[in-house]
Amino acid sequence: MTRPFWIRLVANPRAAFGLVWLGLVVLAALAAPLIAQADPFAITGSPFARPFGESGLGTDSLGRSVWSGLVFGARTTLLIAVIATLSAVAFGGLVGALAGFYGGRIDDLLMRLTEFFQTIPSFIFAILLVAMLSPSATSVVVAIATVSWPPIARVVRGEVLTLRSREFVQAAITLGERDAAILLRQILPNALSPLIVTGSLLVATAILTESALSFLGLGAPNLMSWGFMVGAGRSFLRDAWWLVAIPGVAILLTVLSINLVGEALNDALNPRLRTP
Amino acid sequence: MRPDRRLALAGITSLLGMAGTGLMPQPAMAQRRGGTLVLVVQPEPPTLGSYISTALPVGQVATKIYDGLLEYDFDLKPLPSLAESWTVSDGGRTVTFRLRSGVKFHDGQPFTSADVQFTVMEVLKKVHPRGINTFSEVTAIETPDPQTAIFRLTRPAPYMMMALSGYESPILPKHVFGQGDIRSHQNANSPVGTGPFRFVQWRRGEFVRLDRNPDYWKPGLPYLDRIVVRFIGDTGTRAAALEKGEAHVAGFGAVPYNDVRRLERLPNIRIETRGYEMLSPVVELMFNTRKPPFDNVRVRQAISFSIDRQFVIDNMWFGFGKPTNGPISSNFAPSGFYSADVMNYNVPDGVDRANRLLDEAGFPRRADGTRFEIVHDITPYGEEWRRFGEYTQQALARIGIKASLRYEDVATWLRRVYTDYDYDVSSNSLFNLADPVLGVHRAFHSRFIRPGTVFVNGVRWSDPRADELMDQATIEPDPRKRAELYTEIQKIVVAAAPLAWTHEINYATVLDRRYRDVIVSPLGLFGSFDRAWRE
Repeated sequence: MTRPFWIRLVANPRAAFGLVWLGLVVLAALAAPLIAQADPFAITGSPFARPFGESGLGTDSLGRSVWSGLVFGARTTLLIAVIATLSAVAFGGLVGALAGFYGGRIDDLLMRLTEFFQTIPSFIFAILLVAMLSPSATSVVVAIATVSWPPIARVVRGEVLTLRSREFVQAAITLGERDAAILLRQILPNALSPLIVTGSLLVATAILTESALSFLGLGAPNLMSWGFMVGAGRSFLRDAWWLVAIPGVAILLTVLSINLVGEALNDALNPRLRTP
Repeated sequence: MRPDRRLALAGITSLLGMAGTGLMPQPAMAQRRGGTLVLVVQPEPPTLGSYISTALPVGQVATKIYDGLLEYDFDLKPLPSLAESWTVSDGGRTVTFRLRSGVKFHDGQPFTSADVQFTVMEVLKKVHPRGINTFSEVTAIETPDPQTAIFRLTRPAPYMMMALSGYESPILPKHVFGQGDIRSHQNANSPVGTGPFRFVQWRRGEFVRLDRNPDYWKPGLPYLDRIVVRFIGDTGTRAAALEKGEAHVAGFGAVPYNDVRRLERLPNIRIETRGYEMLSPVVELMFNTRKPPFDNVRVRQAISFSIDRQFVIDNMWFGFGKPTNGPISSNFAPSGFYSADVMNYNVPDGVDRANRLLDEAGFPRRADGTRFEIVHDITPYGEEWRRFGEYTQQALARIGIKASLRYEDVATWLRRVYTDYDYDVSSNSLFNLADPVLGVHRAFHSRFIRPGTVFVNGVRWSDPRADELMDQATIEPDPRKRAELYTEIQKIVVAAAPLAWTHEINYATVLDRRYRDVIVSPLGLFGSFDRAWRE
């Protein structure tokens, strides 16, 4: 008898660390207006106040609170990353499922399209999209989703391709179930675990992409984000290390945590690795 | 200093009252020949054709190679250069330049009045971005002999005399640039001039090498053997090169303001803020004055009141600025064109007054504390401008205006502001240049509402009285009367606030202390460096 999935997951110390940190970040993001003042762009103190003094984590070149930026930045960063990933999973999943299920010409067409997107260097493509659409939360989400759906499509297609020839799917086809029903009820639940693992890792990539875009000044101009904080602080690296270090460490730990949890998910969901 | 030059100067009669006052720079004691100066220019110029591009990097390189007809002192008074003397007659419609004899171009050919005629009529008047305006009144240039050039003008153009420096109007050799298409001339990037340094080599992405011109017409000059113009892409590396003494001069924001403050404390570095007086950038908030609520003068005034100018200067420009209310830079104080007698928006109770004005204008605060919502377009010029945009958002919030920020690339932003007029509030800085006619009128004279032309009247403000006064000031030859006109113009536009002028930017030049007499005129880094020397 195998242990339940979530116990296997938490038993892994690295995953536990990841989960705890992610939990804290999510909590901070949810409680942002309660634990920091409402507008992270508000000038609240004297510029370049050192951290751990009177102003929490210090202030930036205009006197804006780094702590406030950090918790509101968590909000922006997580929200954009999660929405972008969900969009990418939805679109990539659809393309992969159609390609894998119908095969033939549809498969060829969709896979060539996927490959076309895969050949464009993804970050350059994202920059281009944001610049074309003018920087905003929506355009950042669109850009990240556009560059990250191809791997999802390939994973899903592979899964669907193998599942399609299994007896229970053949049975469903013989019984005359509609294609949509077969895909959703028979195939999708069985293809879910690789999808979850790929998707969770994609969130980490999305966070990095969002941060890099904001670092370059292409993030949403009205939303505080970690990449923006690093970008705005980088010219003061020699005078005010905390402007770069604090949001930088936040990005590092969050991306690391997601990767750890993603790996642990993979271990826990992969039947071949299950210990009896 | 040769006495004949001063004599020639003193003998000049000038209707413009712009003749030099004998303020030729006195040589110091210990100048030494020799040495190489490394000038850092950022970014690398796309061309060295300063007759076709006014871009700052281009000017910094080309001014060492090309001379102008005139130079200027720090009070913006013209001094002789290629023109030894000049007279203005016929009510300002004839300007006669007496040209220096014995001047040779770098290829050995003599400089004559034919070169002046060719440069102004065939090049500057046709392809120079600002020359088209500067020389618009010039209909012909007569060349009775090789040492005389007579400019014939349809109307007086006193501002033209301010635009004859080697940066603004470089004199080109006709025998070189006279053949072929000037817009794509092969000599653009291997320039031939009369200046103190000759072009030797341009290794793209690395440097331009300029060597001493041994036949320079100023005897004994230049002191330096060589100028190397280096292009260093990374901000940190630029600062480090100056810090270590590998590079010696950098200006125009090549080193960010906060880094200038750090370098200033080093023993081998000196900071110079003079040398930008013929540019005089003034920062402005732009209002789309034909779009409600910005058609309401009280709303515009309120926004101007809401900006804490000193805070902006201290925290975004790191002290390199000066608070202001009006369009004309205080660098024009010596000529009397600058007036401080205007409505003062830079007051301690600015926020209260702004709130009162908005109440009166019929925009009371709603339940959520806001009056109305706008979009503020951030100027996409770099870090300090981005911070300025974010600060403006905060300042507007304090007076109940909810601004969301928009950030676009330069081309898109320029089109939005100067072509489509699809904006509420934005910001910019325009150069005053050497005369208000050249740099100031364009921002609010209704003649400059020109969709598609950038850095002109993008606020689409139009006021017949102000237009009329500016037209008078354009052709008024008497400097005192011009000054009176400008005093009135400033009073009108500052009160009407089609733009909110916030501060003058004081660019800083970072200099290695071993190099002396680098910044010797209002042209600053656009000077020829002929008197620069190394200790």
